[in-house]
Amino acid sequence: MLYEKIKTIYPDLSDKDFEQYILLQNDSDGKGDYIKFWNHPTLKQPTQEELDAV
Amino acid sequence: MASTISAGTTAGTAIAIAGDTTGNLAFTTQAGTYTQTLPNATGTVMVSGNMPTFRARPSSSTQSISNNTWTKVTFGTEDWDTNNNFASSTFTPTVAGYYLINGSAYLTNGSGNITQARCNIYKNGSTEVYGQFSQFNATGSNNTDNIATISGLVYCNGSTDYIELYAYIGGSSVSPQIAGSTNYTMFSGILIRAA
Repeated sequence: MLYEKIKTIYPDLSDKDFEQYILLQNDSDGKGDYIKFWNHPTLKQPTQEELDAV
Repeated sequence: MASTISAGTTAGTAIAIAGDTTGNLAFTTQAGTYTQTLPNATGTVMVSGNMPTFRARPSSSTQSISNNTWTKVTFGTEDWDTNNNFASSTFTPTVAGYYLINGSAYLTNGSGNITQARCNIYKNGSTEVYGQFSQFNATGSNNTDNIATISGLVYCNGSTDYIELYAYIGGSSVSPQIAGSTNYTMFSGILIRAA
């Protein structure tokens, strides 16, 4: 799951971060979860390579 | 100057349709005791019997989702769809106007605790109306089932605008699901005022 992968990369992210700065979405179109937007003030959005490596 | 079209010959029972210089159209009895006026509005004035409406529910018992991820709720069964505007779990109205949209989702997380249970109305792929935000106690596993509900008014242009229902389960990942075997998960809408 995308959420778990991101939490593995950034363990300190809280539920509030996912409420305010990061939005994960799934359009139920078979393409799976994706990052709708990432506006975290200090942490960079992980690359696809970083996510695939988890 | 008013003009009148009358039908019938008996005073008090005949119906008259009259238009005056304001552009309003009034329906009156011949005696004029009761009057129903349609406004002088631009566009189409629709009567309630023609307001497009739909209601849908899931066709499967469960929809597995990811926790902490906004997920489109899928609806495979239509209870009604009077204007054939609902398809692929998406409402794309062909009449421009203001729609009352309602949604509910029965959210479960197996034996894992739910810290948030929410659903939002999406318009054109993004949140248009936010649902109730409830933060639950994350300790223990006593909060595994919730019904999130939402209601809101949405304007649609009658051509390209489309409406969807998205749901969200916050908390530990055990087996987050949207339960669809009951009437708890539903999606409905109705045009309440044409543009």
